Amino acid sequence: MDIRAEGISRRYFRRTGEANYFEAVCRTDFTVEAGKVTVLLGRSGSGKTTLLHMLAGLLTPTGGKIFLGDTDLYSLEDKALSEIRNKRIGVIPQGRSVIDTLTVLENILLPAALYGGESRGQEALEWMKKLDIAHLADSRPTELSGGELRRVAIVRALAGKPEVILADEPTGDLDDENTALVLSALRDAARDGAAVLLVTHEGEAKQYADEVWRMNAGTLTREERN
Amino acid sequence: MTKRRMFLRMITASLLRRRSRMLVALLSIGIGATILSGLVTIYYDVPRQMGAQFRNYGANMIFVSADGTSLDAEKTAEALSLIPKEKILGATPYRYTSAQMVRNQLSFVAAGTDFEQVQATSPYFMVDGAYPSASRQVLLGKEVAKTIGAKLNSMVEISWKPSVTEASGDTELKPGAYLAGSAEGFNSALVYVTLKLGDDLSIAEMTVNADSQTAEFGGRCAEESFTKQFIGKLIPLTAGTDVDAMTGATVTSQAVVDAVNKARPTENAQAATGNSLSLQVTGILDTGGDEEQYIFLSLSDMEALTGEQDRFDVMELSVSASAEELEEYVSQITDKSGSVSARLVKRVTRSEAAVLTKLQSLVFLVTAVVLLLTMICVSTTMMAVVTERRKEIGLRKALGASDSSIRLEFLGEGIFLGALGGLLGSVLGFGFAQVVSVNVFGSSIQFQPLLLPLTVAVSMLIAALSCMLPIKRAVQIDPALVLKGE
Ligand SMILES: Nc1ncnc2c1ncn2[C@@H]1O[C@H](COP(=O)(O)OP(=O)(O)O)[C@@H](O)[C@H]1O
Ligand SMILES: [Mg+2]
Repeated sequence: MDIRAEGISRRYFRRTGEANYFEAVCRTDFTVEAGKVTVLLGRSGSGKTTLLHMLAGLLTPTGGKIFLGDTDLYSLEDKALSEIRNKRIGVIPQGRSVIDTLTVLENILLPAALYGGESRGQEALEWMKKLDIAHLADSRPTELSGGELRRVAIVRALAGKPEVILADEPTGDLDDENTALVLSALRDAARDGAAVLLVTHEGEAKQYADEVWRMNAGTLTREERN
Repeated sequence: MTKRRMFLRMITASLLRRRSRMLVALLSIGIGATILSGLVTIYYDVPRQMGAQFRNYGANMIFVSADGTSLDAEKTAEALSLIPKEKILGATPYRYTSAQMVRNQLSFVAAGTDFEQVQATSPYFMVDGAYPSASRQVLLGKEVAKTIGAKLNSMVEISWKPSVTEASGDTELKPGAYLAGSAEGFNSALVYVTLKLGDDLSIAEMTVNADSQTAEFGGRCAEESFTKQFIGKLIPLTAGTDVDAMTGATVTSQAVVDAVNKARPTENAQAATGNSLSLQVTGILDTGGDEEQYIFLSLSDMEALTGEQDRFDVMELSVSASAEELEEYVSQITDKSGSVSARLVKRVTRSEAAVLTKLQSLVFLVTAVVLLLTMICVSTTMMAVVTERRKEIGLRKALGASDSSIRLEFLGEGIFLGALGGLLGSVLGFGFAQVVSVNVFGSSIQFQPLLLPLTVAVSMLIAALSCMLPIKRAVQIDPALVLKGE
């Protein structure tokens, strides 16, 4: 299912020059289409993460609306929005995003544990094998490297078979081999029908992209493919 | 792995990770619950405890005769029946008279009483030795024992003489009547005579008690050689004419004649003649009060001594009841019993009520303060837990945990701690109340089964309330901020 942003903006209250707010994302129309990998490029601080969080239902836009299919995300109650976050959207955050008191496998199954849905153990194991972290299932997050933790977060997002996958620089601390593994995994997810947004500042991701957008100081422009 | 097990593991993992914090929270709830259940136990037990305690300070009601004479045993029992039996801790009759130590002629107040009841109405009496338990035994006031030099288990002989005022009734002389009289002899000391009249109203028998006079002079007026002069003569007599004075004892001789002339009829031979009893000292009484100057003997010994039955001067009562109930009993007795007048020892009853009220409000206040402190402590601890788990909470929200599920989890954690702490506190609280009760009141208390669910419920409520602020803080955590940060 497509996820669509209509004229969204996000202001942060921060003193910048004359204004006492700062606009991280300005009146943007943007769609991540189902079955496609949409790559979002942009320099650090250009507003990529802000946009991704708004799409993920984690950050309320100060203007505009986000639609998942026909559902206006931010018109929903917390309970309904939470369930959508859990069941229909898979987020791969930019930073470290594991709970240290749980094992790797438990972290991966955490979203499923939050709701009484079907067990995703089998799927999780397959993805773990694909991304070469199956052998770490019973390890503690503190024993893992940054790249391994990143892949844990990726598997956690993919294992739920979400309709929308929002990946925030998922290859940031990966070597070339693992980068290729992750990107092809996202590619596969899109082929299975998911709407995949891949935020990155590396141009090489372009080769996996169906569409490429560039963000510059809160404004999006579409890049024509050649 | 099932979801439920996983969820359980998540909670236990978080609990275990923060076990020192959880222990602090548990401990503070436990202490709060201990104080709560302990003080509530005491709160409800205080009236009972203090009632019994106050009764240690002596009687709180007395019966006296309404017309200023003595109490009749039967009438007193009637008045007593107007008070519920179970409320009467003790009812002690006292019959007072004056008695003399035969050995040295010193006079003391003798009190006839029921020793079993004395122990109930005057628990503060301290007896060296034991209370008399059989007849012909006596309890001496400390001052009496000191004055006459009596030791425990020694024998003392006390004598009782009818006073002239005690001789009552008809002044008309009848054949066979007993007469008693007294008059001042040497040194203004009293000389007693008792007479029995013959059929012609002349003196048939006569005894003289001149123990107060000098033995080798006036004392000899008790001898038969002197008294036989009176036999067969009619009252009044004249010294020198009817009776020759004893050599060297003119004053005493005159006193004996005066006593005979003043003699009045008395009720019985004993009342006329006086009596004496030999008693074993079983105990010496130390009260710090006037009682130390008294001689205490059983009512039956008192009757044997004076020949008077079933009459008391006063009855002291220790009634375990509230001030209002006591007032109620007094007015009932006043209404229904003509001859018995009941009075409250106001000083005692009023201060009892005042102390009780103060104690109960103090207990209430302390409990409230302790519960408040518990809340602050638990709230602070939970707040710290929320802060420590900030990242985890934010992440879980990002992964789809709703605010209500976060709320529920913390509330569950708090209520669980509350229940555990409440259970702990119930047990410790009973122990605490028991220790306080034994040390302060000197008696043990009963476990109140109802207090267990009450303590647990209040602990759970307190814990839940304590979690309100931390929960609010947890719900306010912004997942977007957490995901961005390191
Ligand atoms: N919570 C916030 N408060 C104020 N400013 C913020 C906040 N989050 C992000 N910003 C600002 O918004 C801009 C965009 O940030 P971000 O979306 O994280 O950029 P990117 O992911 O492209 O590096 C940055 O200049 C950043 O300083
Ligand atoms: Mg970013």
